[in-house]
Amino acid sequence: MKKRSPKAMGAIALILTAALTVTACGKSGGAAEGTAEKPVNLIWYTIGAPQKDTDKVMAEVNKYTAEKIGATVTLKQIDFGDYNQKMGVMTASGEPMDILFTSSWAFDYVQNARKGAFLAIDDLLKSDGKGIVDTLDPAFLEGSKVDGHNYGIPANKELPAQTVYRFNKQNLDKLGLDYKNVKTLEDLEPILKANKEKNPGVLGLKMDNNFTPFVPYDYIIQGLPMAVALDGDNSKIVNVLDTPEMKQALTTMNKYYKAGYISPEAATTTSTGDVEKTGKWLIDLATTQPLADNTWSASLGYPIESTPAGPSIIYNWSVMGSMQAISANSEYPEKAMQFLNLLNTDAKLRNMVDSGIEGTHYKMTGDNRMENLPESKNYDMPTFSLGNVMLTYLNPGDPDNKWDEFKKFNDEGKNAPTLGFNFDTSKVANEIAALQNVKAEVWAPLMTGTVDPAGYLPRANEKLKAAGLDKIIAEAQAQLDAWKASKK
Amino acid sequence: MKGLAGFFRDLGRNKAILLMVLPGALWFLIFSYIPMAGTILAFKEYRISRHGFLRSVLDSDWVGLSNFKFLFSTSDAWVITRNTLLYNIVFIVLGLIASVAMAIVLSEIVNKRLSKLYQTGMFLPYFLSWVIVGYFAFSFLSLDKGLLNQILSSIGIDPVNWYNNPAYWPFILVFISLWKGIGYNSVVYLASIMGIDRSLYEAAMIDGANKWQQIRNVTIPMLKPLMTILTLLAIGKIFYADFGLFYQVPRDSGTLYSVTNVIDTYVYRGLKTTGEFGMVTAAGLYQSFVGFTLVLLSNWVVRRFDKDNSLF
Repeated sequence: MKKRSPKAMGAIALILTAALTVTACGKSGGAAEGTAEKPVNLIWYTIGAPQKDTDKVMAEVNKYTAEKIGATVTLKQIDFGDYNQKMGVMTASGEPMDILFTSSWAFDYVQNARKGAFLAIDDLLKSDGKGIVDTLDPAFLEGSKVDGHNYGIPANKELPAQTVYRFNKQNLDKLGLDYKNVKTLEDLEPILKANKEKNPGVLGLKMDNNFTPFVPYDYIIQGLPMAVALDGDNSKIVNVLDTPEMKQALTTMNKYYKAGYISPEAATTTSTGDVEKTGKWLIDLATTQPLADNTWSASLGYPIESTPAGPSIIYNWSVMGSMQAISANSEYPEKAMQFLNLLNTDAKLRNMVDSGIEGTHYKMTGDNRMENLPESKNYDMPTFSLGNVMLTYLNPGDPDNKWDEFKKFNDEGKNAPTLGFNFDTSKVANEIAALQNVKAEVWAPLMTGTVDPAGYLPRANEKLKAAGLDKIIAEAQAQLDAWKASKK
Repeated sequence: MKGLAGFFRDLGRNKAILLMVLPGALWFLIFSYIPMAGTILAFKEYRISRHGFLRSVLDSDWVGLSNFKFLFSTSDAWVITRNTLLYNIVFIVLGLIASVAMAIVLSEIVNKRLSKLYQTGMFLPYFLSWVIVGYFAFSFLSLDKGLLNQILSSIGIDPVNWYNNPAYWPFILVFISLWKGIGYNSVVYLASIMGIDRSLYEAAMIDGANKWQQIRNVTIPMLKPLMTILTLLAIGKIFYADFGLFYQVPRDSGTLYSVTNVIDTYVYRGLKTTGEFGMVTAAGLYQSFVGFTLVLLSNWVVRRFDKDNSLF
């Protein structure tokens, strides 16, 4: 064995070198590629359930894009629940791809940009993405910069986020009460009380284990307790569980829980889909967009009305709600940018990718209006995830001024205090991992009112501190101060 | 060169047996030995390079042991280590006793058809996914619609909020784990009992041994080698917790973490959003390292007492 080992080592070294040269040489290609005759193929990963007719639609899309920019695309979809994990592994292992979906809530944009998964596109935007720069509200590209660079193209859609209380109208009407004066969580009490008495079997406040009552704070990382106040002193990062607003909200939630307005199993409920189907609920919390009441009523099948629970604010996470990025290992970054540019500016391409083939999946009913045909069930894409939403044709029932409403909504949003600031967690990665665990332990019981904050909150804060919350806040504060200083 | 010729002669002589080993050996090579090279990620801060996976691995910065810190530096470190170890010790001990007992009982059933029926019934839960088992448990333990609470309230006892009460969960988890695993293990022991030479029992009967004495003096001693091997193998996995059991069955309820948080769920919760491959690899390496050490140690102990039953 000893005699043979140098040889074996040699063989391994040879294989490794060969693998390296192969990967290193992967980029050399023909010179005349990227024309209508010889288009290059782009691999595009995006979120959503794979559709039956994808290949059929893409064949049509490719005819169009080959002609326009000399590129074709292969669209691959990964379902919502798997996207984060599968894309994490695929980007880390260097799976060939050119364009990929990323966001603040699935395959985290900021962290993966820092890990090197995406190509910085500042120059490409100037050379091949002029249309995007002209179309997008500047807040989108400004708000999605990571360490001063753009790594993704946000979809042009609603920019701010606003939390609302949604009311199930059919149940509310039975109570003869009005929601118009509801401004705070506490204002809901008389309605919930009446519901408990008069509507047996109807759940008062519907929520799952991700529920967080609205408090006027801007979270540094979604779902973790570091936050900056929206009003007042917004230069200090605090533990949101230590704030008077959150303490009051949790006390109210616990009161509601004890009174039976909340499902006793809220803290372990992962989805409220079945309650939504039965319609046996009265109030819940949601993030709104223009004409949302119509959309909700249509998708749930019963009338929904809503009233704001807080102001309309442009957060980092709302800006990054839906983005397409170019992969770091893309072989044709220029073509990828040209494709994204076309997707965000060309109504024909955008609607083809979104709704399929005209005459097969949808028909036009006006200049800018369409109606789905029965075949559309074989090509049902998540519209928000595929670039500029404001290019899509209107559906039956949409008002003519739909996109004007969106623009108005975007103009009215106020910037969050940390818009454009992204916390680099690499120095506190261990503390973040520990904090995630404590958060998973204490968050849902507190937020759903399952536990009494009087006794539980101090213990929860102690655990968060033991996990290193103070160190994380100090690090975030230092970065925030440096960022603020650099902006002046 | 003589060694090489001898090697090939050996190969030729044993080709049938070696061929049988080949699929298993290949499996281990591809899925266990080659990936071992990846453990260097545990000491690196993994960053993606645009030149492919190998370059990403090579180009990432060395960070020493800092990827391991999150496993030890927090107040949860003690809880997860204690839970993982204690649960696994209980599973190993109770699992051994229960499955050997079941195997003996099954082997004593004269009606072969009934015996097969019981075996199948016990084996069935082994094939269920933890998600389904989790919903089974939920149908019993749900606060308002669960079977247990309905029984309790029908006899005038206040319903229990099971998913908020850590006190019950060590028992529930042990019960469910046994229920799911016992069928599989008892079949392994049953097969071994079937292989015991019947003449041993006949000799015992002639000596006037009753059933209990036969079991104590024939069956169990004959099962001892298998019991030792299976237990040693289980000890190698003592730092791995069954993720599904500890995550799906308690429905990820935060108030139960003090008794349900184990190394695997801790790593999952801590890293699912950040997905730091270095830290995930570090956790896996730590688990295998402790498992490996414990196997060596317990094998050494076994060898001191009973050389024939040790693994190596």
